[in-house]
Amino acid sequence: MGATEVKPTRSELIEIKKKIKLSESGHKLLKMKRDGLILEFFEILNQAKDVRSELDAAYEEANTKIGIAKAVEGTISVKSTAFALSDEPDIELESNNIMGVVVPKIKSTSVSKPMNKRGYGILGTSSYIDEAAEAYEILVEKIILAAEIETTIKKLLDDIEKTKRRVNALEFKVIPELTESMTFIKLRLEEMERENTFRLKKIKDKAE
Amino acid sequence: MSLMDTIERGWNGLKRGWNGLIGTRHIKGSRKGTANYSYLNARVKGMKGHLFPKETYPRLMNMEIDQIARYIQESSYKEDIDQLAQSYESADLVEHALNRNLAVSFTKLINISEDEPKYLITEYLRKFDVWNIKTILRGKHVGASSAEIKENLVSAGEYTYTFLSGLAGKESTDEVIEAFSESYYYQILKQFDGTNLSDIENMLDKMYYEHLYQSIYETRTKEFKLFLRFVQTEIDVRNLLTLFRTKKENLAEDEIMEMMIDNGNVFEMDDLKKLVSLSYEEFIDELKRYSLWDKISDCCSIEMSSLIAMETSLKKYSLTYARQFSHANPLSIATIMDYIITKNNEVNNLRIIVRGKSAGLSDEIIRNQLVI
Repeated sequence: MGATEVKPTRSELIEIKKKIKLSESGHKLLKMKRDGLILEFFEILNQAKDVRSELDAAYEEANTKIGIAKAVEGTISVKSTAFALSDEPDIELESNNIMGVVVPKIKSTSVSKPMNKRGYGILGTSSYIDEAAEAYEILVEKIILAAEIETTIKKLLDDIEKTKRRVNALEFKVIPELTESMTFIKLRLEEMERENTFRLKKIKDKAE
Repeated sequence: MSLMDTIERGWNGLKRGWNGLIGTRHIKGSRKGTANYSYLNARVKGMKGHLFPKETYPRLMNMEIDQIARYIQESSYKEDIDQLAQSYESADLVEHALNRNLAVSFTKLINISEDEPKYLITEYLRKFDVWNIKTILRGKHVGASSAEIKENLVSAGEYTYTFLSGLAGKESTDEVIEAFSESYYYQILKQFDGTNLSDIENMLDKMYYEHLYQSIYETRTKEFKLFLRFVQTEIDVRNLLTLFRTKKENLAEDEIMEMMIDNGNVFEMDDLKKLVSLSYEEFIDELKRYSLWDKISDCCSIEMSSLIAMETSLKKYSLTYARQFSHANPLSIATIMDYIITKNNEVNNLRIIVRGKSAGLSDEIIRNQLVI
């Protein structure tokens, strides 16, 4: 809204003053939220870096272990043993609130199992299979953790960006425009008052 | 019903006889009879001559997978590679060819033997039957396709491929179990309730060893005694591996004892009970009193995080034992058992190289897994 498009009335001035006050307090709050989110983001970023490097290591380890198991026991043996594992891990999705940003909290159960609960017989298998299964259990746990943290980071980043845009809009567009409108109305009102005074003087002169 | 009761009942079922069992190879071997070990040994020596010498493995380590396939195609694996080349390629081709060759070689061994050795070899190779039953059951349990299950069968035991692949096409686990109603496996298989697959697998594996021991023990000829020692050593190695895996996992004592196989040579039942009752640290300490410790001492400690090196050492020991046993007892069942172990080991080594390369494992890791 251009400053000249507003009606130069007192009620409009009061309205704009209210809007400026609201915008300024909103701007202050959003700035605080943005700074808070950035702080939170950097804290989680460190965690995410750790989890990502742990995930990479777990993936490498799992790949090596399954490679060894396939090599020593045979793909057939690994596949046949994998048939025995019919239970899928339970994943529960909850939500967490970080400064108004809803982030996921992933709870997983029955990913890591003791050897005797994995579904395959112990006597007919070997430690190559155990270690491959264990390495993949760790990998799945790391993936779940990484999914939680990386989704949180993504959501925080989205929200930081959104908040930044709002702060900038308020700081560089909304508040300056409102201030400009306020100034315009003030000037217009003053001018109108001067005109009125001048008109009154003219009327008085004519009357005399 | 306890595991021991089940095995006892299964064993009694077996005693009732194998005759008329559908899907078997019509094996006529018997515990008694004139066994021509000289003839059989000559044939086995010929078959052993086709095995790769140990110098081959370092050469194969420097080849690509396709070069390895080509190399083994020029040996006794030619027919297997030729047969399977249309269906598979690269590492899959080599692995399936190795498995096919193993099944063909062991079936040939059964076919060329008669009477006593035929009986002993068949009893020993029943481990492949147990393997196939477990595979079919697992596959049916999780709803794997018939083709997937068939791909994972190795018909080197008594059951024919036709019979086993027919089972893979059955609709449910119940139908598969029913097909074994005439066999001694049925006593165990009928206890499958959809939730206890690992228990059933353990029972089948345990029953295999118990039955193998019993079937040898009852006839006390020289050959049977030699075979008995061989089987006892295998039981010892199996028990030791199970002990390591279960103690490391901290399983309950009674659960571990359920998996212990009786009739070992080094570890008798009292030894096993004692070892099971100890903590992991005490268990390793106590092992130092046994002869098998020497075979694993260089790679075994309380701090070890992986059991792979220890398991490889035990495999090496089994191979060395079979070889020494064969040299000490020429023209006997020991030579045939040595061939079975060595052939199996050759297939394993070739697979380790090919699969290791295909998985991108380093040369050092691959070399550490080889049993030469």
